[in-house]
Amino acid sequence: MKQKTDVLQGTLALMVLKTLDVLGPLHGYGIARRIEQISGDLLAVNQGTLYPVLLKLEQEGAVASEWGASENNRRARFYRLTREGRKQLQAETKDWEQTAAIIARFFEAKAEDLS
Amino acid sequence: MKSLRRFFTRLFNTAAKRAREERLREEIEEHIALQTDENLRAGLSPVEARRQAMLKFGGVEAMKEDYRAERGLLLIENLMGDLRNAMRSISRMPGLAAVIIVSLAIGIGVNTTIFSWIQMMLFEPMPAVSGAANFLMVEPRTETGGYPGASWQEYRDLRTQVPALRDIVASQMVPFNVGERGQTERTHGQLVSGNYFSALGLKPAMGRFFRPEEAERSGTEPVLVISYDYWQTRFGGAPEAVGQKVRVNDRELIVIGVAPRDFQGTMVPLKFELWAPATMAPALLGGTRDLEDRSIRAFSLIGMLKAGATSEEAQAEFSRAMATMARDYPEASAGIGGEILAFWNSPRGPQRMLISGLAVLQGVMLLLLLAVCGNTANLMLARGSVRRREMAVRVALGAGRWRIASLVLSENMLLALLGTGLAAVIAVWGTTALRVAPMIGAFPILFPTKVDEFTLAFAMLLGAACGLIFSAAPAVHLARLDPQEGLRSSSNTAPRSRARKVLMGVEVGLAMVVLIAAGLFLESFRSARQTDPRFRAEGVLLAAYDLSGRNPDEASEREFAARLLERLRSLPDVEAAAIATNVPVDLHGIPSRSFTVQGHVRTEAGKDRAICNTVTPGYFQVMGIPLVEGNDFAEMRDKAAPAQAIVNVEFVRRYLNGAEAIGRRLQTRGGSFSIIGVARNSVYDAFGEPAQAAVYLSYRDLPVFQGEIHLRTRSGNETALTSEARAVLRDLDPMLPLYDVRTFSQHIERNLYLRRIPARMFAVLGPLLLGLAAIGIYAVVSYAVARRTREIGVRLAFGATGRRVVLQIIRENLGVITWGAAIGWVVAFVISVRVIAKGATNLSVFLGVPAILLGVATLACWIPARKASRIDPMTTLRHE
Repeated sequence: MKQKTDVLQGTLALMVLKTLDVLGPLHGYGIARRIEQISGDLLAVNQGTLYPVLLKLEQEGAVASEWGASENNRRARFYRLTREGRKQLQAETKDWEQTAAIIARFFEAKAEDLS
Repeated sequence: MKSLRRFFTRLFNTAAKRAREERLREEIEEHIALQTDENLRAGLSPVEARRQAMLKFGGVEAMKEDYRAERGLLLIENLMGDLRNAMRSISRMPGLAAVIIVSLAIGIGVNTTIFSWIQMMLFEPMPAVSGAANFLMVEPRTETGGYPGASWQEYRDLRTQVPALRDIVASQMVPFNVGERGQTERTHGQLVSGNYFSALGLKPAMGRFFRPEEAERSGTEPVLVISYDYWQTRFGGAPEAVGQKVRVNDRELIVIGVAPRDFQGTMVPLKFELWAPATMAPALLGGTRDLEDRSIRAFSLIGMLKAGATSEEAQAEFSRAMATMARDYPEASAGIGGEILAFWNSPRGPQRMLISGLAVLQGVMLLLLLAVCGNTANLMLARGSVRRREMAVRVALGAGRWRIASLVLSENMLLALLGTGLAAVIAVWGTTALRVAPMIGAFPILFPTKVDEFTLAFAMLLGAACGLIFSAAPAVHLARLDPQEGLRSSSNTAPRSRARKVLMGVEVGLAMVVLIAAGLFLESFRSARQTDPRFRAEGVLLAAYDLSGRNPDEASEREFAARLLERLRSLPDVEAAAIATNVPVDLHGIPSRSFTVQGHVRTEAGKDRAICNTVTPGYFQVMGIPLVEGNDFAEMRDKAAPAQAIVNVEFVRRYLNGAEAIGRRLQTRGGSFSIIGVARNSVYDAFGEPAQAAVYLSYRDLPVFQGEIHLRTRSGNETALTSEARAVLRDLDPMLPLYDVRTFSQHIERNLYLRRIPARMFAVLGPLLLGLAAIGIYAVVSYAVARRTREIGVRLAFGATGRRVVLQIIRENLGVITWGAAIGWVVAFVISVRVIAKGATNLSVFLGVPAILLGVATLACWIPARKASRIDPMTTLRHE
């Protein structure tokens, strides 16, 4: 169980960082919506799981948060990417691309390539 | 870095828990509100919009749990929770908690106090000297196993011939008479080698220590180092003290430095005030030949191993060096080998004797602590059973086994911690109270014990161990609890617990052992106080003089004693006066000598020994010891009479089978004596001792440079003689102080002091332990009874009498108690026979203690049993 959430949290964290990078400061709901839209609703996670991830990122210093007013003029907590978060995003993006490339290559590989 | 940062943020979050919780709630609310808005826009009904939003968000509680796990440190949070819980549950049982904390505190406190003594002697035997425990005693040893000390010349040889030891230090204890003529004061000091302070690694508190050249040749600079205390009391701590002249043994010495605070010399617990170079010996000790004569073995040597050297190497080198000396100087060193001893094992200090005694005491006290733990475990177990329901609810709500165990553990650990805190206070108080023992003999004594971080760590360790020991049973018990079982059954029918009963038995057994030990100790102490010493101590004043600073010869010693006695006897208030080398009931004991006596065949070499005291004529009169046969010694100035001896009745019985003693020859190493009288037996070393054979020799034949003056007063007020005696001595020699003046009763009291400490300890701890055992039994029985109210109710309803119920409950519990007590009794008996040996198996203690213990135990059973028998059967049954 635990491992699965860890993996999920890892990818979710990357998505959160990327979203904030692209869209700037956003509240939790906004981030959740955005991820849903981009993933084409493929990622059917409970939106609630987002909050522990946000907290973790904040504690690591990748994001910062403060209170602000949302579209409907309610008090909402806005998250923004910090400089450290940006660095982390770059590093993780690179990692992820590498991993993806390696995995892709593995899937492309045919029997004769390996012999 | 990242993880560290997270850790601190989490730590902070744990503290700011409430604010965060609030923030999360708000965020969730906001999130759901936004989603609901969105859903409304999509055309859902308000109710459905909100429902969908909630569904999409997922399980709020599970997520909150995740969020919390992310946010704080679960472990610490749980721990804090446990502690809070523990505090709450302790405050709910103030009486019980107080009993537990106080008994733990006393148990741990006493152990810590004893430990601080052992630790002091083993690890920090010399205050102010770091690493003092590493010093080794370098002791010449005779074939018969005596340690005569080393001569100065020997020391000089050994310094180069034992390369495994660096910087061997020599010191000699000397009494100094300090002050101007007519008002001298006896002070103790050491004559030391030039490297004394440097080898000990000391820095002067003021001024400087000896320069090498000051301790090279004899008769050089007359320099003196004083102790910190001496500096404070005699010079008021003034810096001008350095450079001042002090008259010591009629010589002017210049104070050059002050030793560091707390430093008291190299013969702990003796406390020295002055140090002079050993090369001053001839000047200070009336031209003694200490420095040249190899047969004057006045010095004690200590040294530390060089890096990399082993004590075996040192021993081998030392033995070789001593063998060479025995060959080169046969008249002084023949038959003398050498032995390297650990510092605490020194043949001179009291360490060796004290350590074994303290080890036994520590053992007994650890047993006591164990009994306290058993008691506490029992109380907690009884309480834990009451809490079965609470725990069952916790388990049913999802608390894990560990969670339950840690709950119980934290509660007990908190109790242990509080107990340890109080114990530290007791230990600090105890060590300081024991620190200053009065002077023993004429020597100032200071035991440099203290409670340091090492001792406190020991206390903490004991506390933690106790906490674990007494939590183990209840924790296991409760953690194994089946929630269904725990919830279904009412507290009245909880299963029996064998553990409690076994613990009760063990506790009673331990109490038995310690109480018997206490009883034996008190009994021997009490009987010691009441025994007739067979001499008359009332009305006798004691005082000591010492001619060693004058380096006298036999003739002058004899003459001095004779003149002193003449003058003292002429005082109007003095009924009788005498001088002796030893005073009975002294802490050091009176030395014994081996001898041969005419008419008795020696069974084994050195086996025939008798207490030996050298006294002047008139001694028996002062002491009130009648002579059964024969006469007193010849007068001091009598040159005609042959060397004389007086023996006691026990001597005649043991060695002469009761035959006529007078006229026989007695041979000792000191010479040949003719027995002229038989004295009645009296007490020599300790009250209550078995009769000892004793030989009295005369000062006339064997004069000694020091003596204990015994004065019997005519008026009954012996203290009134003090100033007159002082005046007499001052008249005879203005540089000679009279010291260690005390009445005989004071002398006896003082020497019982060291025995009184453990006696007091036992007097306090014995009843305490009895009380603990009683509380323990009471707790177990009252719990057991409470558990069985229904059964008792039924039986009463069927016509059983209250009496029968009470008897049955007592019988059931007394069985276990008796077993425990019997085992404890046997253990105590075996120990007393094996360890304490002769004369210690005191019947009244071995019968009295079990009687008291079982009596108290029965009472502790009876009270709750009687309460149970008064139950109204109807109420109980209805209650179910």
